[in-house]
Amino acid sequence: MKYEMVAGFETHIELATNTKIFCSCTTKFGGDPNTHCCPICIGLPGTLPKLNRQVVKYAIMAGLATNCEIANISKMDRKNYCYPDLPKAYQISQYDKPLCEHGYVQLSSGKKIRLTRIHIEEDAGKLIHKRGDTYIDYNRGGVPLIEIVSEPDISSVEEAKEYVERLQQIMRFIGISDCKMQEGSMRCDVNISVRPEGSTKLGTRTEIKNMNSITFIGKAMEYEFSRQVDLIESGGKVEQQTLRYDDVTNTTSSMRGKEDANDYRYFRDPDLVTISVTDEEIDELRKMIPELPFEKAQRYADELGLNEKDAQNLAKYRKIAEFFEESSEGIRNPKTAANFIIGQIFRRLETENDKEEFNIAISAQQLKELIKLIDDGKIKNNLAKTTLEKMLDTGKSAKEFISESDMAGMDENTLIELCKKAVESNPKAVADFKNGKQKAIKSLVGFVMKESRGKADAALAEAKIAEIIGG
Amino acid sequence: MAESLIKKYSDMLNNKEITCVELTEKFLNAIDTANKDLNAYVTVTPETALETAKAVDKKIADGQALSPLEGIPMTLKDNISTKGIETTCCSKILEGYKPIYNATVWETLSAQNAVLLGKTNMDEFAMGSSCETSCFGGAANPHNIDHVAGGSSGGVASAVGGNIAVYGLGSDTGGSIRQPASFCGIVGLKPTYGAVSRFGLIAYASSLDQIGPVTTTVEDSAIVFDAISAYDKMDSTSRGRVGAPVTDTLKNDIKGMKIGIPREYLEGVRDEVRVCIDKACEVYKSLGAEIVYFDLPALKYALPVYYILACAEASSNLGRYDGIRYGYRTSSYKDVNEMICKTRSEGFGGEVKRRILLGTYVLSAGYYDAYYKKAQNLRGSIVRAFDNSFTCCDVILAPTVPMTAFEKGSAISDPIETYLTDICTVPVNIAGLPGVSVPCGFGENGLPIGMQIIGNKFCEGTVLNAAWQYENAVGSEVFKASEYGVKL
Amino acid sequence: MVTHDDVIAIARLSKLYIAEDELDEMTKAMDDIIKFADTINNAADEGIEFDNINNLSNAFREDEVVTSYDREEILKNANDIDEGHFLVRKRV
Repeated sequence: MKYEMVAGFETHIELATNTKIFCSCTTKFGGDPNTHCCPICIGLPGTLPKLNRQVVKYAIMAGLATNCEIANISKMDRKNYCYPDLPKAYQISQYDKPLCEHGYVQLSSGKKIRLTRIHIEEDAGKLIHKRGDTYIDYNRGGVPLIEIVSEPDISSVEEAKEYVERLQQIMRFIGISDCKMQEGSMRCDVNISVRPEGSTKLGTRTEIKNMNSITFIGKAMEYEFSRQVDLIESGGKVEQQTLRYDDVTNTTSSMRGKEDANDYRYFRDPDLVTISVTDEEIDELRKMIPELPFEKAQRYADELGLNEKDAQNLAKYRKIAEFFEESSEGIRNPKTAANFIIGQIFRRLETENDKEEFNIAISAQQLKELIKLIDDGKIKNNLAKTTLEKMLDTGKSAKEFISESDMAGMDENTLIELCKKAVESNPKAVADFKNGKQKAIKSLVGFVMKESRGKADAALAEAKIAEIIGG
Repeated sequence: MAESLIKKYSDMLNNKEITCVELTEKFLNAIDTANKDLNAYVTVTPETALETAKAVDKKIADGQALSPLEGIPMTLKDNISTKGIETTCCSKILEGYKPIYNATVWETLSAQNAVLLGKTNMDEFAMGSSCETSCFGGAANPHNIDHVAGGSSGGVASAVGGNIAVYGLGSDTGGSIRQPASFCGIVGLKPTYGAVSRFGLIAYASSLDQIGPVTTTVEDSAIVFDAISAYDKMDSTSRGRVGAPVTDTLKNDIKGMKIGIPREYLEGVRDEVRVCIDKACEVYKSLGAEIVYFDLPALKYALPVYYILACAEASSNLGRYDGIRYGYRTSSYKDVNEMICKTRSEGFGGEVKRRILLGTYVLSAGYYDAYYKKAQNLRGSIVRAFDNSFTCCDVILAPTVPMTAFEKGSAISDPIETYLTDICTVPVNIAGLPGVSVPCGFGENGLPIGMQIIGNKFCEGTVLNAAWQYENAVGSEVFKASEYGVKL
Repeated sequence: MVTHDDVIAIARLSKLYIAEDELDEMTKAMDDIIKFADTINNAADEGIEFDNINNLSNAFREDEVVTSYDREEILKNANDIDEGHFLVRKRV
């Protein structure tokens, strides 16, 4: 029998606010243990929470960017459980009135992964177990999170990966989180079950907790899928449980729950008041949602004529997309800008993080000036490329590297003189060409280009050289 | 008429009849003697008190004007956080805990050079009506030490009633200021929910807790209320005082004022208490007020609603005492979970455990709807019923407690019987209203009886004015000084 | 009717131990209180949802950093600390 996967995600994302959700301590990652703390975030008796306005705004933006309905009236609840990383023995979260509900994320196939809800809550501190002793650091305690809960609409590892990637891109684009999985600012729990293909009945699910890389998510889901299928095929039953994925052994194992029986005893937090958002305020926030990566990629392809892959690469990171749009604006052929970015610039941005940060020496305007020189026929592509490298090395403008004579263009006589010189000084290449090695002519053209410092028109030079040799 | 003690001492300081250090020392010496009987203070802070007193004396010497509470010796209930000064809620679990921040009320008062004499006794985590659940033992009634001072703010009431503090701040969740004030023959005000910041008040039940003044006179109550009622950005539920300072509204004529008496408040009240209420009505009539009797059936469920909601919130508020960040930790354990459970089991007293268990029960799966949710909805009904009452009267008059102070030991023997004595005080907390208890007579045993004046939200001015008019009309007839403490 | 098992389950959620010899008494006390609490179920529910007493909304704080407390202060009241952390040793 063939089986299909049924999976849903609970994704926790740390919001990029300056301060924690209920106090004014910094949210900066790292820092010496317990140095980003105050009486409120370590839960000293008598302290009270005060909600960070920006958290509500960011969560609503997340909802708007994922097609959610935004609740006009919302509230905060206490989720009670006792664990050393939770200083109040309850997590302030949202239970039955989340800020956002009924959204979706669309995959490239067009399939929509429905979102049940997005709510705000506080992060817990960090436990470090050393030789069985428990060390507790509350720096992360109280950092604002959104939890995005999806419906079980995901039916393959590929869909899962794309879903997570898309969420990551969206949240980065709207600027509410850096979604760095390695640093824990994006963490995924996945609920997974299997059923015979074609069946509509849901199987018993297991939950794999706290995965912090897309690769691991894929591996863990693959492992868990086959574990469940094997279990069923061998006549066993899947047991509902919470699992931990071990990336070293590539297996999942059962996790002992925080509570023997979870009964969170949710109730409205009496220390906090109602959150009320008007339609006008929601509309204001809607205006702050930029064009999202997939919409951008589509537009780059449709309107600017870029191929799909290039369009996606440029649209994926907010800073790159902005750079591309600014440098190509009003340019005759936007592809030139695209090629320079994907070629020369991407070579300098090795990791995903480099691309996300996009720290390069030149501004979009500087690149645009360079492209204009090509557009105006003042320089050729080759010279532009070498110039761009120098610009990227130094941060200086194109004009610093290109002289008036470079831009003066080249008259035909000078070109013919150079071509002759090329033929005279490269007898071997000439001989090869004559013997039918068509490619040999390229080195002659290269000679001309070099001598002319890129000013020569390569195609014209090739024609002239062929003429000289042939003539 | 009842003389404002705060004004009297303030005038003495300003007129240089006594220095602040001398005044403070008198109180510290009186505490030394009286506290053996009263057990009102659980921590005495002579160093900080005298240090502040010296600063006040310097100001006086420099010819600077004093603010109304400057240099006045006072006390705080032991659930109000004081930086560097042990704050234990009279619970073993907070043994040795010294807050690293000040409660907003103390931040405000200490900025005005209030002279803190020490922290006062209370029922453990403010859970109790006799002060006897305190891990330090109960506070005694300054009128008869075989009787309790009441609770939970028993220590403050005992100290103020026993003249070993000029005034104090208590907290009132279900009557914890008004009931002990009634038992000790003094004035206790529970302000409107949100009028005084709760930041730094160690929570019992967050939606019911309010800090308020415990004083010997109504005017003092108004002075202290004005000083502590302000919007606080640290407390999301804070609104501060609405309108003019309350002291400005005292002494306003009450001719034509409608005083309502819900009949339910008089059910089950001892005759001697009923007699005092009837007498008070006569006094009000003589002042030109009109008495209207009406029914407030929603009150019938106030007590169980209170216990369900208060315990539910308490079970969550008290989860944090796990021995990790502050307070008591058990001496032996096998693992973290056992450390937490043993710490809590050894650190909390019986009444606290009972309320935590009850609170956990009413919030747990399967019981939430029948108890917590239902109680929450009934709270809505009670709020609405009071709203309606204030369309037909200006203030409500009611007994504070159906009886005089219990004999020591009688309250803890039967918890439910004791819960029932809160019947007159809890509705005010449920509805978030201001209520003041003022002395209105004595029982056969010679112990004080108090009555409550309850107003609409943020109408502390109306409430205290009505109380002041009564106090001024009856004078010393209802007030008896305790034999203890400072008398100048 | 509150049973021993109820009390044990509730105590576990509350992180409290109830000693064997306290169980009868605690169960009885709980049962009394619950019976008392049960009286609310005789009341007609008008379905008035209670929000917060003064119907306040949107008590927000601006997103501006205030310097955190010194770690020494944060750890001051702890029973056991090590290397800047709160500490619970494996067993004592």
